[in-house]
Amino acid sequence: MLRLKSLRFSALTVALGYIAVSVIVLLLFAAPIQYAWHEIVEERSTERLREDAHRLENVLRRDGPDALKAVIDTMVEAQPVDDEKFILLANPSLARVVGNLPAWPRDIPAASGTYTRSFDLNGRSVQAIFIRTTLPDGYNLVVGRNTAKFQTVETLFWVGLIGAATSVLVFGVLGGLLIRSALLSEIQEISQTAAAIVAGDLSRRLPRRGGANELDILAHTVNRMLEQIELLIQGIRNVSNSIAHDLRTPLTELRARLEELTVTRPPLEETFTEIDIAVADVDRVIAIFNALLRLAEIDNGARRSGFIPVDIAKVASDAVEFYQPLAELRGISLGFDVTGDAGECIAAGDPLLLAQAIGNLIDNALKYAPHKIRVFVRTAQQSEHAVTITVSDDGPGIPDQEKIKVVERFYRSDASRGTPGVGLGLSLVAAVTKLHGGSLILSDADPGLNATMVISQRPI
Amino acid sequence: MKILIIEDNERVARFLKKGLAEVGYTTDHADNGRDGMFLAVSETYDAIIMDRMLPGGIDGLGIIVALRKDGNQTPILILSALSEVDDRILGLKSGGDDYLVKPFSFGELLARLDAILRRSQELHADSTLTLGDLCMDRLTHKVTRGEKTVMLQPREFKLLEYLMRHANQVVTRTMLLENVWDYHFDPQTNVVDVHISKLRQKIDAGSATQLLRTIRNAGYMLTNDA
Repeated sequence: MLRLKSLRFSALTVALGYIAVSVIVLLLFAAPIQYAWHEIVEERSTERLREDAHRLENVLRRDGPDALKAVIDTMVEAQPVDDEKFILLANPSLARVVGNLPAWPRDIPAASGTYTRSFDLNGRSVQAIFIRTTLPDGYNLVVGRNTAKFQTVETLFWVGLIGAATSVLVFGVLGGLLIRSALLSEIQEISQTAAAIVAGDLSRRLPRRGGANELDILAHTVNRMLEQIELLIQGIRNVSNSIAHDLRTPLTELRARLEELTVTRPPLEETFTEIDIAVADVDRVIAIFNALLRLAEIDNGARRSGFIPVDIAKVASDAVEFYQPLAELRGISLGFDVTGDAGECIAAGDPLLLAQAIGNLIDNALKYAPHKIRVFVRTAQQSEHAVTITVSDDGPGIPDQEKIKVVERFYRSDASRGTPGVGLGLSLVAAVTKLHGGSLILSDADPGLNATMVISQRPI
Repeated sequence: MKILIIEDNERVARFLKKGLAEVGYTTDHADNGRDGMFLAVSETYDAIIMDRMLPGGIDGLGIIVALRKDGNQTPILILSALSEVDDRILGLKSGGDDYLVKPFSFGELLARLDAILRRSQELHADSTLTLGDLCMDRLTHKVTRGEKTVMLQPREFKLLEYLMRHANQVVTRTMLLENVWDYHFDPQTNVVDVHISKLRQKIDAGSATQLLRTIRNAGYMLTNDA
């Protein structure tokens, strides 16, 4: 369940990530607007105030204080106090001369300049921009504009932004939760199936919805993998059963023989004979083990590191020579042929294993052939660079339905029940050819069997 | 003959000691690598039988490498449960003289032990091998039994040569497979027996003394003794 936990975590992380990204996008959107607002509205209104202050200063310079007072009065009449615009003219001691403010605001600094701040107006705090100018003859002028009106818009802007961010958050979390639960329900099915497989039910397969979404593709791949695993497990199971069976037989005989000795206590000479047979029984068990170990050694492919250039024709003719006396003894003609350029019979391989494989094929043929066995080594003329070694006999052959089975470990056809062997010979041949990048092909020779090892001639 | 057995399995060691005592060899036994190494360098032995995997800090191969580095040429027979071809090659490359896979029969072990003991005694083989009235010229490949010339195939010659070099010694089927054919596997049918009987026909046919004898449960021996 650890996997599900981490998945839950990951689904949530993704949702949170999306939310964070959305908020960033929102901010990126809002920042220029905020900037433009500031630039256009605030800067422009400050500009207007500066112009006003400048104009009034000019009036004073040109027409004197009385004219200025008259102009300000006119402006104040049009702009009663409490409204958007403030204006106040004060004498050098900062006493009110004319304007729509009751007194010189205490918060205004002594120096000329532009100030944005809140100040106390008739007992209430007002957010405003002020421009303070010191006029000739010691007069002081302040013009200002209430920014509270803009503030509403600005507040609306921020409220809108936060609202948008909140809805992104809410929908993001909801979406994340929905995706997570949808994903979880699908994964849960997969995980349950996997758990059942772990528990031993190899026939289970992941559910598929027939679509082409990611999980379906994954399920398909995993199912194929499961099929392969089931096949392999089946194979191992068969082999273990066969091993158990094939070892049990000699072990049973051995046990019976030894137990019989202790029970009956026969004369010494007879005892030794029995012990000799018991040792032979043990040797049979050892032989089976050795064959299995050799197969395992070949199967893991490590032997390929020891590949050297091998003259296949030489290996095959040596094997033929080795079995020749046995064939003669049984009245079977054992022949050997090389077709194609003999010099091209070189392939990368393990001479020991190839000799054993060819030996096994000849040995098999000797068990069944009534008259003759021929061993051909051919360098293939096809596009593929390959050497084939064919051992053909004129025996009863192998029926088509058994051709695949005879290569299986421990398989013994009905026809071979009476002959010695443990049913690993052809398995070894198949494993050796596979190791050499080829395959073992069994075909009918009419009459008899052609067993062909295809060995790839790839460079080492 | 004095043999050092380095083997940690008590039962196997006892089996070896008993068996070797039976054929008149004296034995020393060490049940770990350290003691084995100590005995091997401090005493003189005719041969060492050594298990590959040993307790005591140093394993069989380690001992062999150390001994050979030291100039010690005592013949060594390696015993091992590691049966892969590469394991055998590694064992022989390290300086072992022969490699026997467990489980083994005592006959096989004794035959191989005798072979490596003999090898160390006769480093320079003569060009002519003789046993009774059987004579082999290794240069001209001519073989005679008494007055009669024996015609042999190249492989039969190699087989007889091996038997003659190990005359009066048991050689097993496996030893013949490995040394005459260079086959390190067990053919399912006992083809070696057929080769031997063919060779026997050629060299023993018509003679009063049978030189090539079958030793039950062990192998063959080429001998002139009665």
